[in-house]
Amino acid sequence: MAQRSAAGLSKGSRFQVSKGMLTVLASTIVLFALSTVLAPSSVKPETLNGMLPFASILAIVGLGQMLVIQQAGIDLSVAGSMSLAAVIVTVNPGGDNAKLIPALLMSFGIAILIGGLNGILVGFLKLNPIIATLGTNSLLYGLVMAISHGIPRQTTPRLEAIVTSSPLGVPNTVLFAVAALLLVIFFLRNTVAGRRFESIGSSPAVASISGLRVRTHLALAYVWGQLLYTLAGVLIAGVISSPNGSMGDAYLLPSVAVVVLGGTSLLGGRGLPTATVIAAVFLSQLDQFVLALGVNFAIRTLVQAAALAIGVAIYTVDWARVRTIIQKLPGSSNRGQNQASLPSA
Amino acid sequence: MAQSNSKTVVMELRGISKNYSGVPALTNVSLEVKAGEVHALLGENGAGKSTLMNVASGTIAPSTGDLLVHGTRYVALTPALASSLGIAIVHQHPAVLKDLTVLENLQVSLPRSIFKGRASDKIATELLERVGLKISLKLRVEDLTIAQKHLLEIAKALATTPKILVLDEPTAALGQDSVKLLFDLIAKEIANGTAIIYITHRLAEVRELAQVVTVLRDGKLMSTSNINEITDAGLLAQIIGRELKSTFPAKHVKAAGATPNLVVKGLTGKGFNDVSIEAYPGQIIGIAGIVGNGQSEFLKALSGQTDFTGTIEINGEAKNARSLNGKAALMPADRQREGVMMRMSVRENSALASLKKFKNLGLLSRKKEVDSVHETLTSLSIKAPGLEAPVSALSGGNQQKVVMARALLSDPVMILADEPTQGVDVGARSELYDILRKASAEGIPVVVASSDAKELEGLCDTVYVFSRGQVVQVLRDKDNREDAMIEAAVTSTIKAIRIERKEREEKLGNESFLEKFRRFLKGDYAPAVMLGIVMVALAGLIMTKTDTYFSDFNMQSILLLVSALGFVAMGQTTVMMTGGIDLSTGPLIGFLVVIASFFINDGSPMTSIALGLVTMAVVAVVVGLVNSALIRFVKFTAIAATLTTYIAIGGFAFILRPQPDGYISGDVSNILNSAIGPIPNVFIALIVAAVLMETLLRKTRWGWRLRAVGSNEEAARKVGVQVTRSIIGAYAVSSLFVFLGSILLMVQLGVGDASQGVTYTLTGITAVVLGGTSLTGGRGTYIGTFMGAILLIQVLNATVFLNLDQTWQYLLQAILILAAAVVYGVARNRKSSE
Repeated sequence: MAQRSAAGLSKGSRFQVSKGMLTVLASTIVLFALSTVLAPSSVKPETLNGMLPFASILAIVGLGQMLVIQQAGIDLSVAGSMSLAAVIVTVNPGGDNAKLIPALLMSFGIAILIGGLNGILVGFLKLNPIIATLGTNSLLYGLVMAISHGIPRQTTPRLEAIVTSSPLGVPNTVLFAVAALLLVIFFLRNTVAGRRFESIGSSPAVASISGLRVRTHLALAYVWGQLLYTLAGVLIAGVISSPNGSMGDAYLLPSVAVVVLGGTSLLGGRGLPTATVIAAVFLSQLDQFVLALGVNFAIRTLVQAAALAIGVAIYTVDWARVRTIIQKLPGSSNRGQNQASLPSA
Repeated sequence: MAQSNSKTVVMELRGISKNYSGVPALTNVSLEVKAGEVHALLGENGAGKSTLMNVASGTIAPSTGDLLVHGTRYVALTPALASSLGIAIVHQHPAVLKDLTVLENLQVSLPRSIFKGRASDKIATELLERVGLKISLKLRVEDLTIAQKHLLEIAKALATTPKILVLDEPTAALGQDSVKLLFDLIAKEIANGTAIIYITHRLAEVRELAQVVTVLRDGKLMSTSNINEITDAGLLAQIIGRELKSTFPAKHVKAAGATPNLVVKGLTGKGFNDVSIEAYPGQIIGIAGIVGNGQSEFLKALSGQTDFTGTIEINGEAKNARSLNGKAALMPADRQREGVMMRMSVRENSALASLKKFKNLGLLSRKKEVDSVHETLTSLSIKAPGLEAPVSALSGGNQQKVVMARALLSDPVMILADEPTQGVDVGARSELYDILRKASAEGIPVVVASSDAKELEGLCDTVYVFSRGQVVQVLRDKDNREDAMIEAAVTSTIKAIRIERKEREEKLGNESFLEKFRRFLKGDYAPAVMLGIVMVALAGLIMTKTDTYFSDFNMQSILLLVSALGFVAMGQTTVMMTGGIDLSTGPLIGFLVVIASFFINDGSPMTSIALGLVTMAVVAVVVGLVNSALIRFVKFTAIAATLTTYIAIGGFAFILRPQPDGYISGDVSNILNSAIGPIPNVFIALIVAAVLMETLLRKTRWGWRLRAVGSNEEAARKVGVQVTRSIIGAYAVSSLFVFLGSILLMVQLGVGDASQGVTYTLTGITAVVLGGTSLTGGRGTYIGTFMGAILLIQVLNATVFLNLDQTWQYLLQAILILAAAVVYGVARNRKSSE
């Protein structure tokens, strides 16, 4: 039956590089090059060691947000979740190393519960993710206040030591981020559940026709997200020695921004974990670079906005069309050639 | 009447051709339409009928040919031009807006002039009575049955008193009484001299209605004749007889004494009724009929996607939906949406349903997967750049092979192919037929639904002809011929079964308390009422603890806070009505206060204050325009667009005020804080604004358009709404409301502080959500948002009086949001799944 030979069907290479990955990687390389030339102080080892822990934490939060966004969702409970984790691991042990493990268990336990709640609300009750996670975010902040009563506590020495030391030459936070990244990649590419997860994000209709449990995977996205935000919250408690109860607020919008910059669509689809992590490094270094140039906070913010706008436009704008429009501008007056030509007779 | 010149030609299509990237859909078709005449248009699916009518109604420009309308020559029409020439079309799928009421649907779709002079509801009732639709004008269209939606669509077309009326399969969804009424209406229109083009698949209808009949086949005109000059057999002969281009594999020869491997008995579900089929190993079963007569629904049920009653046995084993789901492989007709994941690779698409087979020590083995997928795809002789190419890069035929590969790899108990060769080129077609035949030969039951009768004749052993969800003919062996199929389909007189309406009517008179409550929840103003009850209860609770709650001071401070939030939330409501979201409201309100801090200080002259207010308003509008331009022209999602402006506005605010500075004028503050008793004047302004906006939303074209866009952008465009303009307007209005809110926040803060305001984004959204406005667009109320803002502030204030700490502030907010979302959301979801 196979009259035509299909021997040419290539199996493809194992590693595929996405457009998002290329763009964000190239931008980051250019940024570091510019930093070296224009603002050498922003690439000094001390500066980098100061920047990397926060970049790593942003990367971990971004990975969590990415898993939710690739299911066409969005998670506003990032802020409450990180804050709660930071508060639990500082307030509960109260400086006592021995109480750190129970506090960690409690943090991750709550993460599973809250993620499950979000998942049920969005996946099974079909609530809008913005509303559902807005609600659980308040719930999390309620817990933050109940536990901390608004008073920051000192981080336990052990947590601080684990998080801030750098036995391998880089801060341990970086190792945590790399581990989280590898875990997410491994899940998405090498497990049955992960592959199904990605397919469901890409097209719930196709997945449903193929008999996959769409709602369950959708719900689980919020659990995976919570686990990662909680990890980030624990790390921030180690980096900042006495975190207050609103540490997470500063990460909500950047978490969405890095996902978008990394090329994952807010409408759902394939998640790009490596690109998300690089985008986190990019945004953090952009901050350092602009800071080293001596401009103020306001300009830094504007640069961030511009980076986001350009980053999104790369994916949304139909550049082929823009090129044809530009070609049609005065100078070349060959208009209407791609229209269904109408008879003029 | 106009009988004397009833034979005037009102429209003439001359030598119309239409090519889609080189493929002809219409070739040199000419048609004359005369006043006072029903001109029937016959032909198989894909014969070009709808394309021709789209040319006539202006949605498609022809490649060659032209039109004469009332004697004037046009190269092409536009929808607006067509409607001004008196051409109206009733689409096969009604362009109605589900979130709007019946009355609002008429008002937004029809020209203003129709409602001039008398009360709108009177006119609307008359319009509906003409088509025999006796329903409340206040009913939301989503609560209508399909038949009622069609009648509404017909009413809209007739309301414009068209000179030329195109009806595209109008009876497909109608019950017997409605069909009779429609025919009476057509007779009346004819008497008035209207020209009617009537697209149908049913010869009986043609005989009953038409004076002239034209047959199209393969985009070419076969004949135009007077109805009494041509026999049914003559018409049939012209409809069928498409050229056969594909070759088919040899048919199955049934072995003696074989037992059936698929037995379906009395299967009934949504869209089909009492279907029984039987297949023997090696046989391919065909499902024929005009598209949309329950074939797809039947296949979906066989694949376990939807519920059914009746029995399905495969190889003697009884199956239910649960045991079929994921095991019976369905190749859906809508390949783009349900068949392939466009942005995923060929490998990922093929392996989707069989991932478990590729496990090695619990993990996916890439080697196993690639080898297996490669082998299957090679055996299907797929043409693809490689396994890692996105499936969107493949042709339709090769995409279908990917779907086929997915089915084969999943070791299916049954293969169900819905329109397997639609959009597939001739060569690949033959290959797909071979594959299906081979699968069938292995003993897997194969069921193929197709609107191409020729294909079913060539491919299948037994064909079941569907009409309106029922089997009207079974064609085996020698009887399995194209003409027999088409004859059975087009001569069927079965009317659509419409039991739902009766059931609904019975239900309306006899609801349980729970159902009544649910119906109340679905109403627009239910959230406002519920919030009111909660407010009163909360106030009552607080009064038992304290007697200063209703003091002027406390009331004033609550209501001042409510006012600032209320304005921001009303802006957000406007945007959400279109299905969007505006995250930039919080930073914007802070930024506007920063601007104010340069103009509105103690001792500033009136001119400076006025200039400040103007600047703030202008900046607000610019932000709204930037947001909507990013969304509509640069194609950002609403979240990405307003997140960008969110960050940018924060930057601008810090440029202007790196440190808090610029004290706001005390005199201005005093004016804005003034009150009548416990009620601040600005709160009264908020009430006025809420009532005004609510009225605009319900009673004006602006409001209908806004909700039409959020309800269904495509349908809104079809009824003539300028979508982009509506959305730009919504974001500008949102920003202007933020401007009003900023005037109040300015007084509360008293100083220009760039770090203030951002919290208004989320609290604003919270107020809107509490008020019951849907984030998916199309429905909501400003009154609800107003109540939501009050309740939110009341709760925060209450914690002070009840001696609750900040924990409770958050917890109560959480409970409010989640309770509201669940109560409103579940009520609506239940609705849409019915």
